Amino acid sequence: MESDSTAIIQIENIAKVYEMGEEQVHALRDVSLTINGNEYIALMGPSGSGKSTLMNMLGCLDTPSSGSYLFKGENVSEMSDDDLAEIRNREIGFVFQTFNLLPRASALQNVELPLVYSGMSKRDRLDRAADALHRVGLDNRMDHRPNELSGGQRQRVAIARALVTDPAIILADEPTGNLDSRTGQDIMGLFDELWKAGNTIILVTHEEDIARHAHRIVRLRDGKVESDTENAHAPLV
Amino acid sequence: MLRWSELGESFRIAVEALRLNLMRSILTTAGVVVGVVLVVVMGWTIKGLDAVWEQTISIIGRDMLYIDKWNWAGGGNWRNMEARRNITLRQATLLKDRMESAEVVIPLARRWSSTVQYGSKSVSCSVQGTTYEYGSTPAGTTEIGRWYSESEDLQGDRVVVLGYGVAQAVFEDSNPTNAIVKIAGYPFRVIGVVEKRGFIFMDFIDNQVFIPLRTFQGVYGFYDRSFSIAVKAGNERLLEIVRDEAVGHMRDIRNVAPDANADFSVNEMEAFDAQVTTIRSSIWIVGIGLTVLAFIVGSIGIMNIMFVSVAERTKEIGVRKAIGARRSSILTQFLIESALLCMVGAVIALPISQGIVTAARAIAIGPLELEWVSVVSPYIPVDLLAIAIGVSILVGLAAGFLPARRAATLDPVEALRYD
Ligand SMILES: Nc1ncnc2c1ncn2[C@@H]1O[C@H](COP(=O)(O)OP(=O)(O)O)[C@@H](O)[C@H]1O
Ligand SMILES: [Mg+2]
Repeated sequence: MESDSTAIIQIENIAKVYEMGEEQVHALRDVSLTINGNEYIALMGPSGSGKSTLMNMLGCLDTPSSGSYLFKGENVSEMSDDDLAEIRNREIGFVFQTFNLLPRASALQNVELPLVYSGMSKRDRLDRAADALHRVGLDNRMDHRPNELSGGQRQRVAIARALVTDPAIILADEPTGNLDSRTGQDIMGLFDELWKAGNTIILVTHEEDIARHAHRIVRLRDGKVESDTENAHAPLV
Repeated sequence: MLRWSELGESFRIAVEALRLNLMRSILTTAGVVVGVVLVVVMGWTIKGLDAVWEQTISIIGRDMLYIDKWNWAGGGNWRNMEARRNITLRQATLLKDRMESAEVVIPLARRWSSTVQYGSKSVSCSVQGTTYEYGSTPAGTTEIGRWYSESEDLQGDRVVVLGYGVAQAVFEDSNPTNAIVKIAGYPFRVIGVVEKRGFIFMDFIDNQVFIPLRTFQGVYGFYDRSFSIAVKAGNERLLEIVRDEAVGHMRDIRNVAPDANADFSVNEMEAFDAQVTTIRSSIWIVGIGLTVLAFIVGSIGIMNIMFVSVAERTKEIGVRKAIGARRSSILTQFLIESALLCMVGAVIALPISQGIVTAARAIAIGPLELEWVSVVSPYIPVDLLAIAIGVSILVGLAAGFLPARRAATLDPVEALRYD
């Protein structure tokens, strides 16, 4: 592992407990992780092991029940909802399994949206959104709506949306889960390229084929880190 | 801090949401539509009332005082007024001689119930005995023919000037001048017709006839009769001076002790303003009540539909939050949608209100033959429309607040899991 000086994310002993009526669900217990710039990480583990919970935590969508979370040295646990929203907007790009595009907006409008919330002018927004769509190879699909695009293309739009603010990390929760394996590999090719271009990528998956693209694999079980290893099989730089 | 870019996005989303559920949106706004229609039509009615009243006043003259045994506006004690001494012609003449600040002073004698007969037609009306000078006041302006001359007046000729209503009832649209009509059994020559004064509250004014004072004395006598004295100030600003002078002279003429209440009333057009104000306020109270009710019903509908809209778009809210929408962004988005929804109601209400106004006016002037309604504007008042739209936007914001707050405070993780 590299030194802490370039750490984007430092979590220590975090836990997440959900109250389900009388019952308490320990989604995460005592998880510690340090993630540096330009890492390429796969979060693996069986269903219910806490992958999505951890992902939401890392993405500042959720805050831990206990433990500390420093994002670029700042304590996330103490942040207000709006501060978290700012961090998500500036520093984090989400890619979801079900794409989560706005159905009535064009590809360009979907990609533009994060910039709307960062208060950028219309012209700059369109420039950057077009640029992001170019990077995912959708130059000629900008005015299409999601329902006029294939699954792979939709996920590319979603990746462009995650990229457009030039975030510190890209978080992808089962990004290939709704795609056939060929298309899934294409999307993974895209992540590989983004990583090569300097992006930091964390993806959740339970497929070994997908995880192979990452350089570091963190395995969860019952809300705990079971292993955290270098991936020797990673397709090399 | 809200950003311009977000505001633009919010409008885009709101318009899209309304378009997508057009029928639902329109139905939802029914309450607001009714509220706005009520406000606008009520406002139009009151403005019309004012216009009619203003016109009436301008004909009779705001610069007129009527000294009378009775208080016309109905104030004061009826028994006390009944007990007052009559105002005699001599007193009226004395006042006329002494008054310096007034333009004219005219004695009036009135017979309330009489009839004008012409051939087989007989119309009941009141008869006013007054001098030739009445013809120079706005109330004595003739539309057809002329007023009687000073010599006709002094000689007590049997000439009559008809009020508009009487002329219409007896002669319809034909010219009545020189026709011989019978009043109280005596033949009178019609020499003129007074201008129409369209008047809701004092319609008796069109339903009277004027004859010279001396003629009146011959027909009805002056015994046990109390005169009115019309005092024309000539200018509304002089009214107070003229009133003070007239009251002083009258107290002196009638020997009212310095510390006693005057035993006569000074009637002014202003007194009738109170009646108009009463009618105005009744319309307002009823109208505002109904409007508030409509807006309450309307806002419940809007709130309801906004909750539905928030629920339908839970996932979308989650996505927006994930990519950086703050609470205020989401709050604004739904508030704008709700306000816009209400504005749609206001916009729908616009042609409906105009339709009602146009129809009401046409029916009043046409089938109901209420000609005076023609002084009422055929258009809905723009200022009220602006107010109504403003109010409906406020109602929209208020009704949308709870749903918008629910949307704004949704937990992004929960929202994203929603299907
Ligand atoms: N909002 C929630 N309320 C209650 N329990 C939850 C909630 N979210 C997740 N859990 C529970 O936490 C555990 C971890 O869930 P999750 O992180 O979604 O696992 P994974 O993504 O690895 O399948 C599961 O037992 C799940 O039922
Ligand atoms: Mg999961």
